[in-house]
Amino acid sequence: MKIISLILLLALPVAGNTLPSEKRKNGPLIRKALAPVQVSLQESSAVFYNEEDSRPFLYGTVVSEDGFILTKASDLGKVENYYVRVGAKKYRSPKLIQQDEVWDVALIKIEGQDLRAVDMSDPIELTHGTWTVSNGATERRLRRARPGIVSANKRKIPKGGNPVLGVSLDTKGERLVIKDVGANSGAEKAGLKIDDELLEIDSVEIENQKTLSEHLSGKSAGDSVKLKVKRGDETLDLEAELMAPQMNRNDQLSGGPEQQSERRTGFPMVIQHETMLTRRTVGGPLFTLNGKFVGMNIAAVNRVEAFAIPSKELAEVLKGLRED
Amino acid sequence: MIFGKWTAAALFLLPLASEAARPSLNDKEVPQNLDDFREIQEALQANLEKARAATVCLQMGGGSGSAVIISEDGLVLTAAHVTGKVNEEITVVMEDGRELKGVSLGLNSETDSAMLQIVDKGPFPFVEVDLEDTTELGDWVFSLGHSGGFDKERGVNVRVGRLVREADSTIQSDCMLIGGDSGGPLFNMEGQLIGIHSRVGASREESMHVPVREFQSHWDELLKGEFIGEGSFAQKAVPGSGFLGVIVEEAEEGGLRVTELYPEGVVERAGLKVGDRIIEIEGEDASRVLLTAKLEKLGAGDKLKLKWMSGEEAKEETLKLAEKP
Repeated sequence: MKIISLILLLALPVAGNTLPSEKRKNGPLIRKALAPVQVSLQESSAVFYNEEDSRPFLYGTVVSEDGFILTKASDLGKVENYYVRVGAKKYRSPKLIQQDEVWDVALIKIEGQDLRAVDMSDPIELTHGTWTVSNGATERRLRRARPGIVSANKRKIPKGGNPVLGVSLDTKGERLVIKDVGANSGAEKAGLKIDDELLEIDSVEIENQKTLSEHLSGKSAGDSVKLKVKRGDETLDLEAELMAPQMNRNDQLSGGPEQQSERRTGFPMVIQHETMLTRRTVGGPLFTLNGKFVGMNIAAVNRVEAFAIPSKELAEVLKGLRED
Repeated sequence: MIFGKWTAAALFLLPLASEAARPSLNDKEVPQNLDDFREIQEALQANLEKARAATVCLQMGGGSGSAVIISEDGLVLTAAHVTGKVNEEITVVMEDGRELKGVSLGLNSETDSAMLQIVDKGPFPFVEVDLEDTTELGDWVFSLGHSGGFDKERGVNVRVGRLVREADSTIQSDCMLIGGDSGGPLFNMEGQLIGIHSRVGASREESMHVPVREFQSHWDELLKGEFIGEGSFAQKAVPGSGFLGVIVEEAEEGGLRVTELYPEGVVERAGLKVGDRIIEIEGEDASRVLLTAKLEKLGAGDKLKLKWMSGEEAKEETLKLAEKP
């Protein structure tokens, strides 16, 4: 289904009365009123810095007084050498203890003392429209609060963004036929041609588009698949490399890979909120106005959606990671 | 506020706005403390359920946008770049997944406003409209829409923000929008509709909405199904650009005999065969002159009603013209 895109306007319309930026939702004056919650963010957030350029690239959530921290595993894995700040204090040589691939959560240990861990007990259900507070940008010593409301149903997020062959398909009767082959796609390199009929993938019979996408859902970009195709009277065996699906218009509107978390699907349960996060500002805690810990931000999905793992599920993930 | 152009019929179709007392949460320039945030939250939550129930997803021709129901009998406001055309069949999807049949009414291609009528029988959940134009710069607002298309598990997406700019034909908020939200509603904190999502700015934190007053100033034309203006939000079909995909000759017994069909063309897909005889075009006796005259006026996407004889059997269908290949 094609999504009707908002028209992107590059210039502002007719000048009118304007609200100064400091009074807007993400402005400094609004942030000031959130000071009581900022205290919780300040003490229970960890900031991960890249050793190479000393830039923050990810947040973490402090889960024990002696320095256990949870964060987003897939983005932590992209940086080889890093250090951590909690509050204003810097901690060198953090240790990666364990990872949970299902939830994309990593457990880290720093040599901390008397840290303020988030309280995962007594989880509460959040209704739509409830204010939450997350980490926005950070200063060296100071965490910045960023507000946003719970914006949709709490739910499971199925694994999405299957890798693709790079062809478009047409169903002709019971036959699945290639309608077009993408330029420079794995399919083109493998020699697939328009009008080829797909018979098998990795020796599994392809009955329809659904069987094909089910098979691809278990694969990643870069993996190869063996295809059996029918071309005229010939049956051919080909091997094609899978590619990542192309960015859609909404991804472009959201800043693409610069801003969006790469891993943003496939979570057993999430809270969705509308706080504008980026791939560099997830991993930290999510609080209510009362300073109640309700989850850990796990994905900056797009410009209107962010996901957090609810505190109840996060407690179980932590338990599993510490037992392993 | 342009009440002069209103007819009694238009007023009748619109739910009347209740006496609006502006909520005190808008009196403060910015929230001073957490209680001020709580007040915003309470106002939003008090109105959210009703607003969600009336926010719908529009689906047509493989595209998806948003809209909002404003009357019990199913009058819907949306954006012109969502409906794209007048008198077009559009599927209306409620948050619970219920699908209804709708037909687009008029649109204003210069301001991006459009109307649609649900054809199925109501009553439908609907929202109040801020007819008095009570909102002001800095007011807290909330925005709903089927961002990225319909997702039953997720439901409608809600966002909160402030009115950050006011101009005649556009209001701007810092509620974030994305593709699929187009045509969706913007509410004040009393749950009244104040605008329809239209477009986003180049920076990340600007969203533009068509204000309700813009709908009000063209209410009758929109209701009557007129295509207003020559703006960029919708294009009229170019006359003569429509394609039927059929070659005919005058038949001895009257009407037009099909002699050739364009493969997978509009006429072939409607089920006509070579040898069939077209007897009526838009209710008039079919002739070559009439067919040519009709096609000269119609463009791709426009409709043409044909009646034809297939053997002894009379058939009738309204065909939608394709682009010329």
